[in-house]
Amino acid sequence: MSDPRTTVTTPGLLAEGTHDPGTPPAGIKRAPTGVDHLATEHLVINMGPQHPSTHGVLRLLIEVDGEEVVTVEVSVGYLHRGIEKLAEHRRFNAIGTLMDRGDYVSGIHGETAVALAVERLMEIEVPRKAQWLRSLAAELNRIASHLVWFGTFGLDTGGMGQFLYAMRDREAILDILEAITGQRMMFNYARPGGVVADLPVGIDEKIRAFCDTFDTYLDEHHALLGGNEIFQGRVKGIGIIDAEKAFAFGLTGANLRGAGVDFDVRKKRPYDAYPELDWEVPLGSAGDAWDRYMVRMGEMRQSARMIRQLIDGIPEGEHTAKVPKVLRPPAGEIYACVESSRGETGIHLVTDGGDTPYRMHYRAPSIFALQAVEDIVPGHLIADTVMMVGSTDVMLGETDR
Amino acid sequence: MRPDARSSRAVLKRAGVPADFETLALGEVARVPAADVIAALKALKDSGYESLIDFDGIDTGDDITLTWRLRSYSADRETYVRTSVAYGAEIASVWNVYPSALMPERETAELFGMRLAGHPNPKRLLTTDGVPPLLLKEVPIRTEEEVKAR
Repeated sequence: MSDPRTTVTTPGLLAEGTHDPGTPPAGIKRAPTGVDHLATEHLVINMGPQHPSTHGVLRLLIEVDGEEVVTVEVSVGYLHRGIEKLAEHRRFNAIGTLMDRGDYVSGIHGETAVALAVERLMEIEVPRKAQWLRSLAAELNRIASHLVWFGTFGLDTGGMGQFLYAMRDREAILDILEAITGQRMMFNYARPGGVVADLPVGIDEKIRAFCDTFDTYLDEHHALLGGNEIFQGRVKGIGIIDAEKAFAFGLTGANLRGAGVDFDVRKKRPYDAYPELDWEVPLGSAGDAWDRYMVRMGEMRQSARMIRQLIDGIPEGEHTAKVPKVLRPPAGEIYACVESSRGETGIHLVTDGGDTPYRMHYRAPSIFALQAVEDIVPGHLIADTVMMVGSTDVMLGETDR
Repeated sequence: MRPDARSSRAVLKRAGVPADFETLALGEVARVPAADVIAALKALKDSGYESLIDFDGIDTGDDITLTWRLRSYSADRETYVRTSVAYGAEIASVWNVYPSALMPERETAELFGMRLAGHPNPKRLLTTDGVPPLLLKEVPIRTEEEVKAR
C-alpha cells in the first residue's frame, strides 16, 4: 500500500470527524511524503492550548511517526467571544472596542477597518489630519506588534535575550500610544469620522526620540537573532510557502510577501495617509521562514521611516469630521480592508439603515495562515512545527473572534 | 503564463454558468444558483482569480446568502460570487477549487446551522456541540438563563 495513511496502526487524527480525504488539487499536499513505510506506531500529541510555543490558545493535534509529523490538525475556538454577533448589537462607533479584542496586539488596524467601512457607507469625508493621526498610530502599533512576534519567535528557537530587548522597545511604543490614545492595548482610538483625540502636547519629541534610537536598535535586534547561526539553521529552508500555495490558502500580509508577491493593501488599496508617504514594500523570494522573518524586519524599518514622515508632516486642522452621535449609515453593504500587522484585515459590513450593523463579518488573516500551517507541517520534525507556527505570526484572538 | 483576470460577466458567460450580475458599493457581484457555484468558481479561477480571500454568510431573513470574495493578484482585481441557500441546507464545499475555503466553510456552516458536503473535515470550528447557530437572527444574544439573571 502506497498511501502512508493506510498503514497507520493507531488511527488517531484520521478517526476524528467523518471524512474522506478526497483528491487534493495539484500542488496541495495532504498526505505527507518522507514517511517510512515501517509499521511503527504513530502517536497523537496534543500541543496546546497551553503550550508556550503556540502563541496563545492554539491547539495542534499532531500525529507523529517518531520525530516526524505525519498529519497536523489545527484546533481553534478557545477564545471565541462571538465578536461578529456582538457587533450586531453595538452602535457603529462602539464596534472598535470589539475589534481591539480581536487582534489584541495590533488593535488600531481593526478599528480603522471598521471606521473605513462606516465612512465609505456614509460618505463621510475624513479630515486629512485625522488620516495622518490614524496612520501614525497604526505604524507605531505595527512596530509594537512585530516586536512581540520577533521576541517570541526567538523564544521558540531557544533565544532569550532578544525577547527582553524587544519588550524594552515595545514598552517605549506603548508609552507613546498610551499618551496618544489613553490606553496601552485596547485603544478605541480610530472612530468613524476620524480619531478620538488630537496629539497631546510634546508627544512629537518623544516619537522623534524613539525613531532616532529605533533604527540602531533594530540593527542590534537583527544581529542578535538573525545573525545567530543556530537561528539561521532552524529557519532557513523551513516551512516553504511559495506563491502558488500562498494563493491557494488565501494568505496575505508578510506571509504572502515572503513568497515574493508584491501585494500590500496600503499600496494597492490605499487608505488614510499612505498614498502621501514615501516607503517601500519589503519582499522575500523563496517563501521560507527566513524570508518571512526578513520581510517583517524590513517592515519595521519601513514603519519607522513612515512614522518620521508622519510626525514631520502632520497637517493642521480638525482631528475628526463632524459626525452625528448616533450613526445611521444608509442600507447597503461594503467591504473595507486594511493592512494589519498580520495581513489583510477586512470588514464586510451589511447595514439596513438602523443604528447597528445588520451583519458584520471580520476577515481575520490568521485563520488563513493556520490552514497553510496544516499543509506545510507534515513531513517536518516536531521542533520545526514550532518554527512554522511562529513564522506565520498567527494571532488567536482574531482567528476565534 | 497566467491569463489575466477579466470581468466575471465575460468569464461566466463563456463558461455557460447562469448568473445575474449587479454592481454594488461592494463591487462586481455575480449571483449564481447554489448548484452552479463550483462551476462558477472553477471558471473564475481558470481565468486568473488565483485566490479566495474571504467567505461569509448573511442571514437575510428569507435565506442564507453566501458570498465568496475572489482576488486576482496578476490583474489586481476583485470580484464576488454570491448564492442563496435555504436554512439548514447543505453547502457543497469548494475546497477542491480554493483550499482557503476549508476553515471559513466550517465556521460558516457552524454559525448558520448548515451542513457541509464534500468537505475533508466537516467538524465544528469555533464552538462546542450544543451551541446553537449563533449568527442566525433568531438566536438571541443572551441565553434564557442570562436574561433571567439580569
